Amino acid sequence: MTKQCFFKQNNVQHIDYKDTELLKKFLNPHARILTTKRTNVSSGAQRKLALAVKRARFMGLLPYVAQ
Amino acid sequence: MTTETVKTEGTVYEVGYHIVPAVSPDNLSVEVDAIKAVLGKNGATIISEEAPQLMPLSYEMVKVAGQTRNKYDTAYFGWIKFEAAPAAVVEINKALSVSEKILRYLLIKTVRDNTMVGEKLFAKEKEEAAKAEDQKEAAKTDKPKASEEEIDKSIEKLVA
Repeated sequence: MTKQCFFKQNNVQHIDYKDTELLKKFLNPHARILTTKRTNVSSGAQRKLALAVKRARFMGLLPYVAQ
Repeated sequence: MTTETVKTEGTVYEVGYHIVPAVSPDNLSVEVDAIKAVLGKNGATIISEEAPQLMPLSYEMVKVAGQTRNKYDTAYFGWIKFEAAPAAVVEINKALSVSEKILRYLLIKTVRDNTMVGEKLFAKEKEEAAKAEDQKEAAKTDKPKASEEEIDKSIEKLVA
């Protein structure tokens, strides 16, 4: 059985760039955004997630590259 | 984006900002008030906000002040959520961009509700994990206690 979208399960409408604790769950150890295949989120949520991560990077809340 | 129906009023925006760490903690409120003054001047109504707090940056940021390039690896991060007309936001953006005390800022469209869900979601997980650990520890500690009491009783019986 396929896994359901994390954001739909938890009824998250808007992904906030300040929510780094949440965003870090979808990054690999190099701080790159994981693929949809690995995140198991819907395509719409994946786009919102990518935007939030990029905003967090710009504001220095998340690194562009780690290690 | 052109198909999006944006009304002239009631669009919710959020400005997240980093204030340079050179500002003393006592004078932070002055800087925040300056940002709020810019918002107020352009007819924005503040919905919610978070006071700036000193935090380490993930990478070094450069702010050019006059003829010097200052590098910072910490900054005071805060945010203000507000409601304003789209035309006013252009003016707000211009006003913020010339500020010398703001290291970096991000002006985005957002929603009125609280969008910080991570803490709530993971608080449950953490609580459950803590409870599970407590139960494990309790189970471990309970067993030897009971057995000690039993041993004492049995010893008393033997002595008597």
